[in-house]
Amino acid sequence: MEVNIYKQNKEVVAELVGRMDTPATQEFAPQLEALTKDAAGTIVLDCKNLTYISSSGLRIFLTLRKAAAEKGGRVVVRSIRDEIRSVFMMTGFLNLFDIE
Amino acid sequence: MKTKVSNIKNVLRRSTGAGLLLIIVAALTLEATSLLQNYFSRKGLMEEAQLRAENLLETTRLQILDATHQAESAVRNSIWIAGWCLDYPDSLPVVVRRIVEDNPTVMGSTLALIPNYSRRLPWYSPYFCREGDSLVMKSLATAEYDYPSQEWFTKPLEQDSGVWSEPYIDTGGGEVLMTTYSVPIKDSKGRPAAVLTADISLNWLSMLASSELVYPNSFQVIATPGGQLLVLSTGYVKLTTVDELDSRMDDTANFDRLITAMRAGRSGNIPIRRNGENNQVFFAPVEELGWAMSIVIPDDEIYGDIRRVRWLERFFQLLGLGMLVLILRGLAKNQLRYQKVNEKKELMESELKIGRNIQMSMIPNIFPPFPERKDIDIAACLIPAKEVGGDLYDFYIRDEKLFFCIGDVSGKGVPASLVMAVTRSLFRTVSAHENSPQRIVMTMNDSMSDMNESNMFVTFFCGILNLATGHLRYCNAGHNPPLILSDRAVELDVKPNLPLGVMPKMSYQEQETDLDFGDTVFLYTDGLNEAENSAHEQFTLERAKAMLDQRRNAQDHLEEVRKAVNKFVGNAPQSDDLTMLLIHYMNDTSPMRSERHLILHNDIQQIPQLADFVETIAGEKNLDQSMAMSINLALEEAVTNVIEYAYPEGADGLVDIEAILREKTLDFIITDSGKPFDPTARPEVDTSASLNDRPIGGLGIHLVKRIMDSVSYRREDGKNILTMIKNI
Repeated sequence: MEVNIYKQNKEVVAELVGRMDTPATQEFAPQLEALTKDAAGTIVLDCKNLTYISSSGLRIFLTLRKAAAEKGGRVVVRSIRDEIRSVFMMTGFLNLFDIE
Repeated sequence: MKTKVSNIKNVLRRSTGAGLLLIIVAALTLEATSLLQNYFSRKGLMEEAQLRAENLLETTRLQILDATHQAESAVRNSIWIAGWCLDYPDSLPVVVRRIVEDNPTVMGSTLALIPNYSRRLPWYSPYFCREGDSLVMKSLATAEYDYPSQEWFTKPLEQDSGVWSEPYIDTGGGEVLMTTYSVPIKDSKGRPAAVLTADISLNWLSMLASSELVYPNSFQVIATPGGQLLVLSTGYVKLTTVDELDSRMDDTANFDRLITAMRAGRSGNIPIRRNGENNQVFFAPVEELGWAMSIVIPDDEIYGDIRRVRWLERFFQLLGLGMLVLILRGLAKNQLRYQKVNEKKELMESELKIGRNIQMSMIPNIFPPFPERKDIDIAACLIPAKEVGGDLYDFYIRDEKLFFCIGDVSGKGVPASLVMAVTRSLFRTVSAHENSPQRIVMTMNDSMSDMNESNMFVTFFCGILNLATGHLRYCNAGHNPPLILSDRAVELDVKPNLPLGVMPKMSYQEQETDLDFGDTVFLYTDGLNEAENSAHEQFTLERAKAMLDQRRNAQDHLEEVRKAVNKFVGNAPQSDDLTMLLIHYMNDTSPMRSERHLILHNDIQQIPQLADFVETIAGEKNLDQSMAMSINLALEEAVTNVIEYAYPEGADGLVDIEAILREKTLDFIITDSGKPFDPTARPEVDTSASLNDRPIGGLGIHLVKRIMDSVSYRREDGKNILTMIKNI
């Protein structure tokens, strides 16, 4: 898995690439959880190339979402693939995130 | 049920009605017979009474005539001498004395001169009578007695012939009933000069009455021309009058008729009512004297016997009727009981039928049982000797293992069937958590021995066939060794062990063997080898063995044996339950089935291996990417759970992932030896909850449940086993 974090038009974008399974999530958790400091603004999770996500990945999503809610920011899930969408659906995440 | 009750009532009513009618008819018949008999008996008794009365009357008449005749003779014979003696009055007493002396029936006698016939003896009447054994002479020529005015004196003179006086009571010489015969005596010139008499006692008449003891309360009445009545009863004679008797009659009309008839000199019989009792009066005249005699007999005495007989008869009639009632009641009861027994029997039969259906539905009875499987073919049959039986078999597949058993409860019928049901339930319950036949058998034995108060036991054989490998583990409990049909039929090497239920805490030995593709396990109960024909020959295992080969499918195979047994037994009744279970193990040549196996250490870094594992399976089963990803996700979540929770931190452990690929399903069995942990027991995640209410964790097992079609956990042999099945 790869994670690219950059700023674009005042948004913090995290581009998630590949399989976000449990060991991968463990590896990138510090980087991703650090995004909570930008939670007052808009955090974009770019999932265009995210092919797989397990519950540990979903936990990171939820952590960010809760931080944004606390600080008045928002979390946008962008370009979600069908496989991931179905996982979101099964877990009720579609209702929790702004999906673009 | 309602109709049954009304049926019983109907029967009761019908039989009671018929019984009542029968009793009434019987009673009427008996009464009619009795009345008829009574009528003829009465007639007979009446005739007898009449005969007796006539005899008595005749006897009395003859006696009276005899007595009067003697007296008359005595007097007449002395007429001449008396006439002659008139001229010598002093000799007259001698004549009188001779009359009394010579005639024992004569009580007394006198010769009374007409007053003033003799100048010397103007009043003269010497009288001799008996007093005891001696003769006493008295003179009746007293002013007191005034013999010339006495009837016995005047009447013969008036009539100029012998005359009998009316009976009278003589008080002179004791209370004696007398009658007197008097004749006029004429002198030589033909002038009336005197009256010669002879008294006779009538007391002996009472002796006649008393001699007739057939009717002890009967009495005789003699009516004299003077209107007097002589009542003669046992031991006494009484003088009375018609008027006096009349006042005692309840029914004067008949009494008047009687008196009239008697006075007219007729004979016959007339009933009279007296003192509240009916009497028969038989009467006849004594023409010579102008008397009429009668005898009065109370009806009670005439019909006394018949009355007694009639009471006796009534008593026996009632007794007979009572017995008839008892017999009828007994019959009705019997019929009712019979009907009840019949109904009970029908009820029991229908219940047995239901019992049989229940029993049959307890055991697998749809064949082939696993039509989708190419590796196993099973056929079985259970034919109870009675409605229900004590044999059982069972089988099912769990985790790619065939659990099967066969058993034979000691005894037959309902008790055996109950034990059979218990045994089958125990097998299901115990084998759901045990993978060792030995442990299944021992657990079953313990619980059956504990509750075995009726001392019934079960021979039992339990086997677990690993369908993937053909490895067969089995444990026997006193049952016939099954046959393994390979090239030929051979008995499986089996330790006998004790049957189930004999003794708790027994140890049972487990054994094992390997089946090759194409092998068949044939299990049976002794209803097969011991099936008897009418000549009491047994079917024997040898015959069974000879029939068993492995060229057919299981159903046909079993059917063939069954037909052979039926043919052998013929018309003989089935002596024991017959049960057979035939398991044919085959190579699953179908390309649809395969297995994959992956073993991981409890290291999270090994998780990516699952992706390759799933990719292989997806490739093999041509699954789309979305399905593959879902399965991957479920597996990852399940395995992650094990890695994170099963083993203590730092300890090394393994996670075994077995995948069975079938035509329409994928089975995943994840096994670890960690601490007991049931992931399915975690609370459900509420996916519709608001953000604030959403916990961070718990999504993993939620995903597993959402992705898989069936998820089940069990703890076995110190292992956590999570089985997940995905329909594809």
